[in-house]
Amino acid sequence: MSTLIRQAGFMVRVNLLSLPRRLAISLSMALSIALVVCVLAGFLALAKGFERALAGAGSPMVAVILGGGAQQENGSDIPTETIRALQATTGDIGVVRDGAGRIVSSREVVVAVDVSTVADQAVRTVAVRGMDGAGATMRDQIVVSQGRLFAPGAREIVVGDQLATALGLTVGRSVRLGTIDWMVVGRFSAHGSAFESEIWADLDAVRAGFDRQNEVQSLRLRLMEPSGLMLLQARLSTLGTVPLVARTEADLYAAQSERTTRLIRLFAWPLALLMAIGATAGALNTMMSSVSDRTVEIATVRALGFQRFAAFIGTWVEAVFLAAVGVASGLVVSWLGFNGWQASTIGANNTRLAFELSVTSDVAVIAGLLGLAIGALGGLIPAFVATRLPLTAALRARG
Amino acid sequence: MTGAQDIYIQLESVSKAYRVAGQAIPIFSNLDLAIPRGDFVAVMGPSGSGKSTLLNMLAGIDRPDAGRVRIGTHHLDQMGEAARGSWRAHHMGIVFQFYNLLPMLTAAENVELPLLLKPVSARERRLRVERVLDLVGLSGRERHYPGMMSGGQQQRVGIARAIVADPGLLLCDEPTGDLDRASADDVLDMLQTLNQVLGKTILMVTHDPQAARRAKRTLHLDKGVFIEESRAAE
Repeated sequence: MSTLIRQAGFMVRVNLLSLPRRLAISLSMALSIALVVCVLAGFLALAKGFERALAGAGSPMVAVILGGGAQQENGSDIPTETIRALQATTGDIGVVRDGAGRIVSSREVVVAVDVSTVADQAVRTVAVRGMDGAGATMRDQIVVSQGRLFAPGAREIVVGDQLATALGLTVGRSVRLGTIDWMVVGRFSAHGSAFESEIWADLDAVRAGFDRQNEVQSLRLRLMEPSGLMLLQARLSTLGTVPLVARTEADLYAAQSERTTRLIRLFAWPLALLMAIGATAGALNTMMSSVSDRTVEIATVRALGFQRFAAFIGTWVEAVFLAAVGVASGLVVSWLGFNGWQASTIGANNTRLAFELSVTSDVAVIAGLLGLAIGALGGLIPAFVATRLPLTAALRARG
Repeated sequence: MTGAQDIYIQLESVSKAYRVAGQAIPIFSNLDLAIPRGDFVAVMGPSGSGKSTLLNMLAGIDRPDAGRVRIGTHHLDQMGEAARGSWRAHHMGIVFQFYNLLPMLTAAENVELPLLLKPVSARERRLRVERVLDLVGLSGRERHYPGMMSGGQQQRVGIARAIVADPGLLLCDEPTGDLDRASADDVLDMLQTLNQVLGKTILMVTHDPQAARRAKRTLHLDKGVFIEESRAAE
């Protein structure tokens, strides 16, 4: 082994062994870095959770047709005759048909409704989605977790698990939506996706209950394959005068999540970087104290013949080590505190969208790298100072 | 008299000044010194006489403003900082007044330090450490930390560290300055043995006349000039 590497390894060992002498200030450096990591990981987990909730809701095998130039269901309107014309289409338009040759589709309408929570009567605005019978089967990964689906034409609702938990709704309970009482007949799980923030009911019952006669905001169709979207879009362009656009469900929700996650990250990074600058100054101060505390030791080994490089590495690695302790602590606290934490925001239809914060591996890596960078940068100047200590300090100093 | 070929340490016309508040404070001016191999020299003098500067220059820690500093075949005044560090690692041992042991390391680990600078295997390092600790009378104390030892024992660890790499030159900076008389005598006995039995060249800076009497000769330094030389009785 090269003696230089051996010298550096020795200096690292001596520095780390001397840490108990500087326990308080070393812990304060690790703590400040842990705080930065916590803040950044928290915001990124928020963005990641929101992104996951919407990304999980969308399937690339389902096409959503919107009308009137709208980019989301809210504001979209598809005329009844257009739907009839599409359903009357024969030949391959890229979508799945049933045994009788009919296009498998679900007409849907979303209504924002105020609902009181069972626990404290707090009012929350939620999305009530009216859909055809095929609507539930059109969505991947939906599982009825309790009860059953709504019956056609009945004033029955099934509630997403996250929303049911937040509102305190249980199967068999009656709940007032608008001016009408509806019976909760089931709950469904959508693996934490945005669908779990919705209430589903029969399309005609919703249109009748909320005075939305004949209104259809979106039409969902199952694609034969993702490329079938182009065939469908080509067919839509030949239907009537109302502009229609078809997007995959995955694209629709990804576009919705993009704006919000970008906003969260736009807020998170400047805040985290400002805190990181403060933490870097703290790390620099801590490491200067460390060099001061070890002046005699550093000068002694340098007087014995150790090279400047070893003194540099010893101090720099100590800084990175303390940063790593801070990163590990910050990530553990973030994971325990944030991962799986329930949050909600206003979704695309001006309704409540619940999601879970998600401290994923990429969130941990990004926040961790920022923490390590604080230690690496904050340790540079003190490490350089350690290489420039006057060796005469060793000869007459009481060690 | 010593022939030129026997001179191990040689200072020729060495000058050194420190700048304090923009003003040059001269320490030496045209200082000459010649020490043959195997000598044991004590340097005495009042505070500010230049003893520490002389020691720093012989250790390669400081450089002269002018003149030449040669030890063996090495011209320290012409060597860069890294080269002087490497030279110290291979040719010189230092004994400090306050021992300068690293408190978080055991006696054996402290002694092992200079060997980390040489291509010596871990097994060889362990053997050499055991041997020198035995030589300074600390066999069995390998795993003791400095804080568990008396001042005299710590200085013996310091001496073991200085000789473990088998250097030709030992520089001792007030090696008994922090010790009681009995411990000081032990340390001086050891230095005499190293000089007489192992042939180490020793230069010792001291304020203690009893310590100086153990050396073969004593140089008296005052205001940067050797004013007197006394030799020990044969």
